[in-house]
Amino acid sequence: MDGKLDLHFALRNQKTIMKDVYYQPPLKASRGLYVDNPDDITVYLMESSGGLVAGDTNAYRIRLDEGTNVTLHPQAATKVYPAYNGKASKQEVHIELAEQACLTWKREEVIPFAESEFHSHTTVKMKNGSSFYWEEILYPGREKRGERFTFDTCHTQLEVWMEEDCLVYDGLRFKPSVQDVKQFGVMGDYHYIASVWIIDREIELNEEKWNHSSTDHQVSISRLRDYGYLVRFLSNDLPRVKKEMDQLGNKEAGTKE
Amino acid sequence: MKRQKEDSQNHLSTEGINTKFLYLMHIHDSAFPIGTYTHSFGMETFIQEELIRTKDDLFHFLQVYLRENVAYTDGIFVKESYQEEDLAALIRLEKICDASKNAEETREASSMIGKQFVKAVLPVSDTPSLEKWNKLVQDKKVIAHFPIVYSLYAKDLVFDLYTTVLTFLYSSTVGLVHNAVRAIPLGQKAGIEVIHRLIPEMEKATLNVLDRDLSDLSNHAVGLELASMQHKYLRSRLFIS
Repeated sequence: MDGKLDLHFALRNQKTIMKDVYYQPPLKASRGLYVDNPDDITVYLMESSGGLVAGDTNAYRIRLDEGTNVTLHPQAATKVYPAYNGKASKQEVHIELAEQACLTWKREEVIPFAESEFHSHTTVKMKNGSSFYWEEILYPGREKRGERFTFDTCHTQLEVWMEEDCLVYDGLRFKPSVQDVKQFGVMGDYHYIASVWIIDREIELNEEKWNHSSTDHQVSISRLRDYGYLVRFLSNDLPRVKKEMDQLGNKEAGTKE
Repeated sequence: MKRQKEDSQNHLSTEGINTKFLYLMHIHDSAFPIGTYTHSFGMETFIQEELIRTKDDLFHFLQVYLRENVAYTDGIFVKESYQEEDLAALIRLEKICDASKNAEETREASSMIGKQFVKAVLPVSDTPSLEKWNKLVQDKKVIAHFPIVYSLYAKDLVFDLYTTVLTFLYSSTVGLVHNAVRAIPLGQKAGIEVIHRLIPEMEKATLNVLDRDLSDLSNHAVGLELASMQHKYLRSRLFIS
């Protein structure tokens, strides 16, 4: 099945509204909710099929007009089923942010099952005054079934462009059958990779706070070239990853301590 | 300079090819001043964590470094810039190269070495592409990341793509062996042994790079990336990165 979800956000009387929605099952959007304040609209992204089966493609197109403030929340983790027919499952996300628009994409979680093949490509075009938050967790498989890097291929690609300038170009391409995934330097003994990208001129993080390491959890932070951060985790402690991601996602707490 | 150009373009003369190769040997001499001896690209974090203590540890680390990092990152940039004829596309490629290096110190190291390299070879070589690139660097239009400028230089000297990628991988790895020998520390003999064991790995990695393109770029060596991000917080450091 090929799911589609196109969302267009605009300002009406200084309030962000969901102006246009187009969807094709299994993708669907919740109605817009105003959780914290009337300026910030939250929409849940729903997937009714329970996961991507070999050959499926889910495509999202998200457009934010000038000055809008949007939080998108995937309702569940993306489960990727085995590629029995040799066909890969795909996800494509295209995001366009106008001046002063702010998009937060909450925790995108990907669980590639044994023998699955998944390719995800997210492209963001933003303007000088817009901001973008992206959170992602990549699972090693269905851990409760003992799956750890037993998928065939898992390739995620995030690229963020501001006019001609490239701010983020991060590919993670795993093909465990031909790679030394469990060596230190790659994943070592860790199972989960998580990433938080914060591209916002106003945000200054306390870098030392986001730099610690123990046997089952590591996190470190890096400044992007001009502004913005990547906070990257390698961990076996999923609840802790989620907790720390929530702390980072809290924009008030994220400002300079 | 003129002689160098004649040598480099003389495909049929074995003497010419051998002489030409000396230019590459020269720039890969550990005394060549491009600053590789001051960078560990995150390796020093692993040395301090005692994950790299012996020559075997060092070999296995660098094997993974070649296979899972360089052959999915800088190796691909060397190959892609060698094959790119269009200047605008080459500039775009360097922007991608810069953005793909998430760890700040590794990103800086790549451009520091690249700038030093241009500074060292330009006055003594006849390399029109590199001269053009250097003007763009001075105008702050590009950054001079090492894989890009190395590729431009080797192409101007008419080395083939295979040699260009192979020698780049050689310099990326051997520099780290020299640094590890000082930092662990290991004996010179151990260093020589590790380099000899790595040479077949360099060949394999080069063949892999030649099969790859920009869509294969991958930062899945996340452990190394975190080690590079954590490097600036180490209490004492021998290396800049």
